[in-house]
Amino acid sequence: MIILDYVWLVPLIPVLCFVIVGFLGNKMGPKMAEGGFLVIAGTAASFVIALLCTLEYVGFIGDGGLYPDAVTNSITWFSVGSYTLTFGYYIDILSCLMMLFASFISLMIFTYSLGYMHDQGPRQRRYFAEVALFLTGMLGLAVSSTLLELFIFWEIMGLCSYLLIGFWSFNHPEGDDKADNAASAAKKAFLVTRLGDVCLMGGLFVLFFTMGGLEYTTVFNATNLANAWAANSGLLTLAALLIFGGVIGKSAQFPLLDWLPDAMAGPTTVSALIHAATMVKAGVYLVARCFPLFVLEPNVMLFVAIIGGVTAFFAATMAMNNMNIKKVLAYSTLSQLGYMFLSLGAGGYMMALSIEVTGGQIIIQNPEYFTIGCLGYAAGCLHMVNHAFFKALLFLCSGSVIHANGTEDMRLMGGLYKQMPKTAITMLIGTLSIAGFPFFAGFFSKDLVLDVVFEAFHETSANVNYLFIFLWFLGIVTAFMTAFYMFRLWFMTFMGEYRGHHCHGESPKSMTVPLMILAIFAFGAGFALLLGWDGVFTFFGNHHTEGEVLQWIVGGWDRPNVGIHWIEELFTNWKTYVTIVLVIVAIALAYLMYVKKSINPGKFSKDGQSWLYRTISNRYYFPEIYNQFSWKLGYDVARGVDFIDKQIIDGTVNGLSNAVCGSGDLMSKAQDGNLHTYASVVLGGIVVLFVAVMLLFFYGGVF
Amino acid sequence: MDFNTLILPLLILVPLIGAVLTLFMGGNRAKYANLVALVFTLITLVLSLVVMITPVGELDKFNFTADWINAGGLKMSFIFVVDGLSILMVFLTAMLEVLVMAFSYKQSDRPNYFYALLLAIEVGLMGVYLSADYFLFYIMWEVSLIPMYFLISWYGGPRRHYSAIKFFIYTHVASLIMLIGIFCMVFESAHLAGSATVDFSFAFVKQWMAGADSVFQILVFAMLFFGFAVKMPAVPFHTWLPDAHVEAPTAGSVLLAGVMLKMGSYGIIRVCIEALPGALGSWQYIVIAIGLVSMIYGAYACIAQRDLKKMVAYSSISHMGLVMVAMGAAMGGAAAGDANLVKMGIEFAIFQMFAHGLISGMLFLVCGTAGHNFGTREIPLMGGMAGKVPVYAAFMMFAFMASLGLPGLIGFWGEFGIIAAFYQWIEPNGMLYLLVICLLSLLLTAGYYLWAMQRTLFGRLTTKLDFAHVHDVDRVEAVVLGVLAFAIAIYGFWPDLALSYVTGYAQAWAVI
Repeated sequence: MIILDYVWLVPLIPVLCFVIVGFLGNKMGPKMAEGGFLVIAGTAASFVIALLCTLEYVGFIGDGGLYPDAVTNSITWFSVGSYTLTFGYYIDILSCLMMLFASFISLMIFTYSLGYMHDQGPRQRRYFAEVALFLTGMLGLAVSSTLLELFIFWEIMGLCSYLLIGFWSFNHPEGDDKADNAASAAKKAFLVTRLGDVCLMGGLFVLFFTMGGLEYTTVFNATNLANAWAANSGLLTLAALLIFGGVIGKSAQFPLLDWLPDAMAGPTTVSALIHAATMVKAGVYLVARCFPLFVLEPNVMLFVAIIGGVTAFFAATMAMNNMNIKKVLAYSTLSQLGYMFLSLGAGGYMMALSIEVTGGQIIIQNPEYFTIGCLGYAAGCLHMVNHAFFKALLFLCSGSVIHANGTEDMRLMGGLYKQMPKTAITMLIGTLSIAGFPFFAGFFSKDLVLDVVFEAFHETSANVNYLFIFLWFLGIVTAFMTAFYMFRLWFMTFMGEYRGHHCHGESPKSMTVPLMILAIFAFGAGFALLLGWDGVFTFFGNHHTEGEVLQWIVGGWDRPNVGIHWIEELFTNWKTYVTIVLVIVAIALAYLMYVKKSINPGKFSKDGQSWLYRTISNRYYFPEIYNQFSWKLGYDVARGVDFIDKQIIDGTVNGLSNAVCGSGDLMSKAQDGNLHTYASVVLGGIVVLFVAVMLLFFYGGVF
Repeated sequence: MDFNTLILPLLILVPLIGAVLTLFMGGNRAKYANLVALVFTLITLVLSLVVMITPVGELDKFNFTADWINAGGLKMSFIFVVDGLSILMVFLTAMLEVLVMAFSYKQSDRPNYFYALLLAIEVGLMGVYLSADYFLFYIMWEVSLIPMYFLISWYGGPRRHYSAIKFFIYTHVASLIMLIGIFCMVFESAHLAGSATVDFSFAFVKQWMAGADSVFQILVFAMLFFGFAVKMPAVPFHTWLPDAHVEAPTAGSVLLAGVMLKMGSYGIIRVCIEALPGALGSWQYIVIAIGLVSMIYGAYACIAQRDLKKMVAYSSISHMGLVMVAMGAAMGGAAAGDANLVKMGIEFAIFQMFAHGLISGMLFLVCGTAGHNFGTREIPLMGGMAGKVPVYAAFMMFAFMASLGLPGLIGFWGEFGIIAAFYQWIEPNGMLYLLVICLLSLLLTAGYYLWAMQRTLFGRLTTKLDFAHVHDVDRVEAVVLGVLAFAIAIYGFWPDLALSYVTGYAQAWAVI
């Protein structure tokens, strides 16, 4: 342990950058004043340390691997009652994965920001300070050793998301309406996620007193969990559901999904970083982290799967007819996040069926189910990483397009391939990847997800299997829609005739180089499976040693053939070919509609008049419902309270004082007879005192 | 005489001397009044720091006792004691006094009286937090009240007379009822002790009250609790507070919200809970109910406000409701013999008092600055201010975020700890649904603060303000706000800096 001892530097470096840029930036001379270079250097340092830590952890450097045992270290923070809270780091393969991709993608996006934000003048300093603070939150979340610590970083990310969505909430370069829009979007994002966060906080309270602490080592300990489950299974289920409530808010799942499209009011780099690649993944991370807790109750996992599947489908439909390039990407983010929860939920359900809690132990009864569970877990995490790569790429490409055209409306684009070839090609790679075209990163993870859901259908009995086949069907349809709307986006932007006013041409190098690097990953990340890197993704491997199982980070690393096995299975499976065919059909359909124009898209929507089209355009009336909800339960009740305060409580008080002081308004009394009122108060006091002394006589008989 | 024993009386005497001195600095000497007053508050702060750096276990060495009145069978003494409960309040008072004194350096209207009144308030506050004799406690309670009355009615806004009188009547009636409670307690103690002299000291009353008839204790609790709850203030005895705040000058508001409200909760812990153990079991439900209602009611009332300062005033009601809930949980724990719950409840009640003192101090400074620098505090008149006054906007955002309980800042720990303590109370009582109320109040808090920020700082630039007269915070204001922001962040990062003082006190409690 050489470098791992210093893993706390990973979140610390960004916070130092934040302090320096945020508070001292104006004293650093003209070149450094924006802070961009400092933040990029800091992020690079964080990334290098994270990488070295991961390599040491898995045993490439240093004295042998520590994997699969977690490396943890903490200091006492303070004590509450008879409990002691600690603060520290906890490194296992999931933390490594999280901090690696978060710091790497941040590095790419910050570099890109240099070019993207260069015309923002002094505002750049605020931008770089805030993204540095955000990165602290993200990396801190990854290395946290307790759920409370995780919650703190979780909220710091929420704050930064709020600040960055509202980056243009005043003095907007494009006018006041945009500023109002950004201000409202920022508030909405914070409040809707806050609704989830208070649920999460409630879950932490329940968990804290059920488990006697919030350290991972305490909570995710097989014996502790088994005992707590035996003592009060209801409370643990409640805790899991409340924690998932927080996840729904943060990862914008149904029904709290509507803040994310609005959040596109922020700069595109922020959308790429926070609202696609990292922060919204915190929810996936939390579910993966709390897997041991969630799998105790199958229905919790079923709930996760249903929320995931429903979100994947609904979000995809909303992306079908949107004309705003960023909003389409936002909906597809929601949809892909839904896939991750679908995978975790379906796998978790199988794992929940496979285990049994008896006599202070958690025993695996059904290794086959357990393997499916592991596959679900791994597929969810793999899709999280792949999605981070291709969605960051897609957002940055769209940023490049927006930067050159000055609009987000796809109707004002078209034919940009000639002017922006680098952006077009990199974006094509991202589009193929998210569409699940064979051999691209998204293909592997998405098909694994669908595979898990199908397995869950195949293995379960009773009525649950209908549910899973329905979810699988939703997943397949979503895959079809994804390929369609993503290629619709790409064709409308880069093919055909240019419909806009003016295009500045290709973006500068600082923007295109990150695009190319990300494109490599968006293509190749899926092959990590083939390279025997399955250890990273198969946390549970096929590790069946009973009792040890709930160490939760086991197996896999020494079994490089598992990944190959999965890939083999992927290609010898009829379901995979079904999705491939669907994807190709979807791409062809998009081509016919938007390039050859041999099919008129208006035919399906009755030129935008069909009820379905209007419902989707209105986002299933979610914004309406949110508004009604918050006005009715918020402002209307507040008005009622205000009325009670002014009329009833104060009215009674003023009435009483009028009765005491004689007729007339208290205020006029106060003005013309200050002394009079004062005297009557004192007189009243004396009367009360007299009564009291009399009472004492009778009660105590002291005198 | 040992110097240590003089520190506590000096904490009261120094501001008193300062008050008298500045009072006579009218006319052409007025320009030095602020400096003199600042020096005296600084001396007080240094003295309080001497107490702060002493290990909690050795606080006994500061105890001061002197005879005062010992005639006619009544024994009233000067007893000053500092312990884990009062030390944070003393520090908070001393610190906020320095800050408001610096902040109000621009006071041009009768400045000598203004500074003298602020110092006189410090005398009363220090007295309340330090005295350990009921008679002295009551006197000091009234001493803190009167200068605040004059501060509002002389230096307040347009409706200052109404507000000042309302403030005075409310708190005066409450303290009279509290006085009756004190008399009942003291005379009954003497009765139980069979002693001829009636000793007003805390220790004497505490010793004998524990054995008093429980019905008697419950009744006395009612009187005392009413007195303290009005001061906190708890719904429905709260309407004096928003009015007083809206009219009070900024310095007055800061002290009122920062430390004066804490007199109420301090009194409940010091008197009701410490001296009347027999009443705790019966009163826990009412205390918790009042606390919960205050939390929700205050938060909802905030949403409807148009005046920034009034909104912040209602948020104080909501946050002091949390303190009430913590005390109720601790009372329940004491009644049920759950030492851990008592400890957590008391610890976080005090911690939240401290946290709210810092945060509400900053909030009222921020709102006051809006009034001074923009010429208005009306939310609908503002909009897009962040573009014009960026430093102010940053401070406002920081204060609001601290108040809505952003983790990493001190406000979060108060909320977190109190709800955690409360959870331990509701779980055995089978009232898990009460958790929803707590969580709802957290959500509403975020709601009104964010909505207020959206309407004042962000969005399109308002056309209703004359920007020729709008200016950003000046250097002094920035330093004062910066100090508070720093304290909020430091205590938020390392809450043990404040909690460690409280733990010992709570530990002693948990033994019963």
